[in-house]
Parts: sequence; C-alpha cells; structure tokens
Amino acid sequence: MSDTSIISLPPAAEAELVRRLQARDESAMTLFYDRYSAALYGVIFRIVKAEDEAEDVLQEALVKIWHAFASYDPSKGRLFTWVLNICRNLSIDKIRSRQHRVGSRTQGLDDSLTAQRQAAPTEFRPEHIGLQEITKQLVPEQRQIIDLLYFEGFTQSEVAEELNIPLGTVKTRARTAIKVLSKLIR
Amino acid sequence: MENIQEYIESGILEQYALGELSPAEQAAVEAMAARHPAVGEELAQVQQALGIYAEAHAITPPAGLRERVLGNVMTQIAAPATTATPNSSLRADVDAVAQGPRATAAQPTPGEAVVRPFTPAAEAPAPARSMWAMAASVALLLSLGVNALLYSRWKDASSELVALQSEQARFATTTQVVQRQLGELKQENQVLRSDEFKAVALAGTKTAPSAHARVLFNPATHKVFVDVRSLPALPAGKQYQLWALDKGKPIDAGVLTAATATGQGLQSMKDIASAQTFAMTVEPEGGSVNPTLSTMTVVGNI
Repeated sequence: MSDTSIISLPPAAEAELVRRLQARDESAMTLFYDRYSAALYGVIFRIVKAEDEAEDVLQEALVKIWHAFASYDPSKGRLFTWVLNICRNLSIDKIRSRQHRVGSRTQGLDDSLTAQRQAAPTEFRPEHIGLQEITKQLVPEQRQIIDLLYFEGFTQSEVAEELNIPLGTVKTRARTAIKVLSKLIR
Repeated sequence: MENIQEYIESGILEQYALGELSPAEQAAVEAMAARHPAVGEELAQVQQALGIYAEAHAITPPAGLRERVLGNVMTQIAAPATTATPNSSLRADVDAVAQGPRATAAQPTPGEAVVRPFTPAAEAPAPARSMWAMAASVALLLSLGVNALLYSRWKDASSELVALQSEQARFATTTQVVQRQLGELKQENQVLRSDEFKAVALAGTKTAPSAHARVLFNPATHKVFVDVRSLPALPAGKQYQLWALDKGKPIDAGVLTAATATGQGLQSMKDIASAQTFAMTVEPEGGSVNPTLSTMTVVGNI
C-alpha cells in the first residue's frame, strides 16, 4: 500500500498510525516509512539536490519525528503537514549552511529544473495527483513562485527581489496557486 | 466577519504554512485559527494544497536506501528512547505495561539487535468486548484484503487502459500513413489507366544507352507525369531535370526527386501547355534555367 496517496489516506488509518507512534511503538516507524518516504524523499531531494545528502536528511528527519512526536498535536493539522515541515526545515537548514560555505545565495533555478526532469514518475498511479496534472493547472509564473517558496526556501520578499516583481504580486500569485492546488483534492 | 476575510486574504496563512513566521507570529496565527473556524478551515486548505504539491513531487528513494535508513533509525531510536522516556503520552497505562520488559531487554550491549518479548498490551478486557473487538478486527481485515485486491485490480485496469490507448494511437498513425500511400497509388492508377494521357518513351542517349524512362502527358489538362525505369546513378549535388521541347524551345518541367529517379513511382511534374519532345538532363541540385545539353540522358518524341 506504499503507493497509496497520502492526501486520500482515510483519517482512521492516519489516526491509527499516530496512536501507535504516540504509544512509542517502534514497528510503526516501518509503516510510517513505507507510507511517507517517497513523498518526503521527493521534497528533500528537490531542496538539497543531491542523493547522498537527501538520504542523510531523510534519516535525520525520521529520528527527529520519532523523538519529537509528543509535540505533534493532531488537532492542529494532519500528520503529513507536520512531518513535511520537519523535512523541509531540515533540508533548508542544510542548503543554507552549504550556501554559507560557498557564499552564493541563489544558484538554484536551473538545478531545480533538472531535478524536476529527473523525477519522471516511474509508476502509473491512478489516484495520485501527478506533476503533469499540476503543470496543467498552474500557469508557469505561479509554479515558479511556489517552487521558489517551497523548494528553494525563499521568503515571499526574497521571491519578489529575485524575480524583480512587487511583493503584492508574489502574494497574489502564491495565494491563487495554492487555491488552484487545493481544488485538486478529490 | 469583515476583518476575518481581510486576515485570510493578507497571505499570512500561506506564510505560516511555508514556515516564514517567527514563533510569536506562529502562535498568533494558531490562536486565530482556534478562535475562528473560517481561519482554521482556510489554513487546513492551504496546508493540504502544499501537501498535494509535495506529494506530486514524490520520488521512490533509490534501491537500498530503505534498509540503510530504517536500520540506522531503528538503532538510533531503540536504545536511548527506552532509558529516557520523558513520555507525556496520554497512554501511560499502555506504556507502563510495555516499558517493564522493554527496559530489561534493552540492557545487553547497546547497538546490538534487541530481541524483545511480545507483550500483550491490554490483557483480558471484558470477554464480551473482546468478542466484539475480535469480530470487528476480522471484519476490518477482510475489508482491508478486499480493498487491497480491488485497488490492485483498479491499478491493473488503468495500466492496461494506458497501454491500449498508446496502441490505439500507434494504429491511428499507421492508418494515416497507409491512407496517404493508398491515395498516391490511386492517383497513379488513374493516370496510368486514363486514355487522355499519352505515353512518351524516352530512350537513352549516347552518354547512357541503357537509360529508359516514360513521360505521361495529357495535352488537354497539360498534366505531366514522369515514370523512370532505369537511369544512371547521379553524382553528389546533381539532379535530373525534365524538359519539354515545344517547337525546339526547351521549357522547364521540374526536377526529379531522388525517389523518382530510382524508379519508385510516378511523379507529377510542372504543367506543360504544348510539347513535341521530352528530354532529361543532369543539372545542379534545384535545376537550371536552361538545359545543359551535353548531359542529356534520355529523350523521346511524342
């Protein structure tokens, strides 16, 4: 069942996993891995853009998720949202420290494009909302902004600066893009 | 209500979901979401939208990563977690049962694989309840099995559909090609069967005695077709050009394609109003304005 969409995962299945993790059931981590690793690895890889670093971050994130699980509050949001944030934060920290070393703030756009090209879906997933569908729904300017915000760790003001457009426009495009995405939920 | 809408539209929820806010700002957003259901709902939607975006970029990790990562994670979480469990979990009772044997089992050399006896966490509740629980579990298991089966069938069916669709597309392309070829053949056939077309045999000249071609000329419609039987191979950069001679004056009738020159079929040439003789010469690619008479390969009178 590892290729079942997380978004369409029934709440009961998620609650069961949360209960087992709260009960410190270590075997639940295997289940967690099988269900979430592809999504988490995809996000991590697109941020750090290197396989070995992605593996390190994924491992670090899993350990962190286990140890910090008591701070997860299901009433505040879904498990996927919480774990995604942990992975994104760790990945962004990673590239920030790397960029500090190299001294360049932004070299990302081309790399992220190659990353997108590499990530052609290897398997047909009927219920999975794929990249193709998203590319169809979002205009390129919206997608670019979401990519910068989500995968490059830019703030909205940094996006405005990078693309040389007003902050208001960034906010509007980000909001519209997110609206479009939330309509994709079946 | 007004300023709730304004709050939502300010974009702060997106900033929250993208992790741009300071801890204090985060707490303020969470408080707003708890107080106003509309805000909470909108925030959940934003988070879900980003979840969709993230999941759309899912990549199956490379082979071997699962075993490495899970193995490392398990050794990292196994040993220390049992000794220091600052567990604020609500299920203190379950933990109490589970932790006893766990602590003793974890004592041998840390880092080594730990074999833990299975502990029946909640032992012997009321028998009636356990019957129901068992029945429910069985029902759930059955339903999971059926779901898995249906899911895999659905996936198979979808994959087959994709395969069929690509097959169909290939057929459509083939059909188009065949149709085009059929159209060409029909046209050739019409020309060959028509009484209005005069067949003009072009015989080889001294330079190429074995050369042999035919021109089909319709004086009424002025259509000209050429049909090559055998022509000498051309040097690079050269093409055969057909000429019509009307009262001794050469008129360009067009150049022959490589396929026509090797005798693959009829080629429709330029319309010719009137001619008594047809001839072919070798010209630079694209043809010449005037024939190079020294290269005349075939010639024939009507």
